[in-house]
Amino acid sequence: MGTDAMKPLERLAAYGKGEAIDRLPCVPIVGNTAARVIGVKVGDFRGNGPLIAQAQVAAYRKFGYDVIRIFTDLYTQAEAMGAKVHYPADETAYLEAPAISDPAEVQRLQPADPYRDGNLPHHLEAMRIAVDQVGNEVPVTGALTCPFTNASFLVGAETLARLMLKDPETVHRLCEISLDTNFRYAAAIIEAGATPSLTDAMSSSTVISPRQFKEFSLPYLKRLIDFIHGKGKSVTLHICGKTAKIWESMVEAGADCISIDNDASLIEAKLAVGNRVRLMGNVHPSAVMLQGAVEDVRRATLSCLREAHDNPKGFIVASGCSLPTEAPFENIEAMMETVRNFKVEDQ
Amino acid sequence: MSADKETLYKQLADAVVDMDEDQAVATAEAVATAGLDAYEAIEKGLSAGMERAGQLFDEEEYFIPELLMCSDAMYAGMDVLKPHIRQDAVAEKRRVVIGVIQGDTHDIGKNLVKIMLETSGFDVTDLGRDIPPASFVQTAQEIDADIIALSTLMTTTMDGMGEVVRQLNDQGVRDKFKVIVGGGPISQGFADRIGADGYAVNAADAVRLARRLTSPEVAAA
Repeated sequence: MGTDAMKPLERLAAYGKGEAIDRLPCVPIVGNTAARVIGVKVGDFRGNGPLIAQAQVAAYRKFGYDVIRIFTDLYTQAEAMGAKVHYPADETAYLEAPAISDPAEVQRLQPADPYRDGNLPHHLEAMRIAVDQVGNEVPVTGALTCPFTNASFLVGAETLARLMLKDPETVHRLCEISLDTNFRYAAAIIEAGATPSLTDAMSSSTVISPRQFKEFSLPYLKRLIDFIHGKGKSVTLHICGKTAKIWESMVEAGADCISIDNDASLIEAKLAVGNRVRLMGNVHPSAVMLQGAVEDVRRATLSCLREAHDNPKGFIVASGCSLPTEAPFENIEAMMETVRNFKVEDQ
Repeated sequence: MSADKETLYKQLADAVVDMDEDQAVATAEAVATAGLDAYEAIEKGLSAGMERAGQLFDEEEYFIPELLMCSDAMYAGMDVLKPHIRQDAVAEKRRVVIGVIQGDTHDIGKNLVKIMLETSGFDVTDLGRDIPPASFVQTAQEIDADIIALSTLMTTTMDGMGEVVRQLNDQGVRDKFKVIVGGGPISQGFADRIGADGYAVNAADAVRLARRLTSPEVAAA
């Protein structure tokens, strides 16, 4: 990473002001691949903030990308509220059982205390350590699962889907209590010197309709983003799958940057909302970053650059979603190199 | 009488499309009381309704919540009608064994595929989630399946799909089954690489694929 003239914070600040930069910002969204960088098992991250920080800082130093994100899985807040998470020895954790098995138990749920419950304290510790070590040169963020998606982990995805039609009031209660946890966790992340990084998989139009998004997800997202803005931080919002029909709503929610994946088109996003939000995306995390050769990565990255480098509100080259744990290092490096070599004048 | 029959079938279909479980049950009971052919009522009523729901899903009018509710109505009606099916009315069905590959417990996509396949007249054996490759191979042989359908949402478990194909090859039974794959990280390229017979992008597409692969010409090839 010695090849970059600017540090990520300098680069992002200059880019935001429209000043000269050495290269476009680039974020191959490294999650548990960081375990491979320091040769530990993914399961070792459980309850070990210092190890998460060590891995994420080492991954940043190895590849030189523009944002560090403290992340192990999407379930940390739901777990802190009572969901059961399974931790395989060396793979990403997954939801074993929702927090409640019967929607009628919704009143039993309490918002999480990020300083006490589940793995949240360890994630906060990881953020503090990363900020302490490299926070003067690179933004450190903490992954935060948004209200609607967190609600799906509290009651189970299929149950939540049915409740939207049968008992919308309960869905709102689940989102409201998830939002309550989000507020507390977002405040704690910011207090740790980091920035919340929002992710909302279940809000995708691959799962729910744009109308349902407006009813069950947007109001809570908007309040969450207002809250984070109130603490002086800008917000990146990631939603996977199909999103074209909710880009307007994502902007309306207040996102400063929207991160989209491969079921969405950067060119279309640029034309639709590019004058109001920064875009981030969308090299295919599995087909290209995991399974592709270096040349495939180069081609896919260039294609993203050509599509969106001139986005009016800016563009961050990124993978469409978190990278699979076993994404090869040379592919991550190829993505970075392609961005380093890309000159806007070449176009 | 025959106008009545058509009306009842249409009511069954509408109950499914309208996600109206109570209506589906009431109409199914009326069908049974009238002594109509239960098998035909499922096919021309409930399944026809689910097929329309599938089209609405394809057209992005319906999404996963609606599709789940439609299937609830369909199964509720089916539960009423099943005991009334005359054995001689049942055509030989194509058999599918389906499941989520080991290491993955996301099964919403698999459940949708299962629903749509059942709706379309396939006899589906659902192994559930987190299923080792060997179980697919074993069950497929036990039930003499036509199709093995593999699902995963996670990139970490994709290799298990290739393992199913390898085991079929090792046991010399690859030709007896069509292997189809789907799920978030899966692509046509991946399906080709592991030697699967097909890839479906969603539940409706899975039905088209399963039908194509079990059509007489393809099945004989």
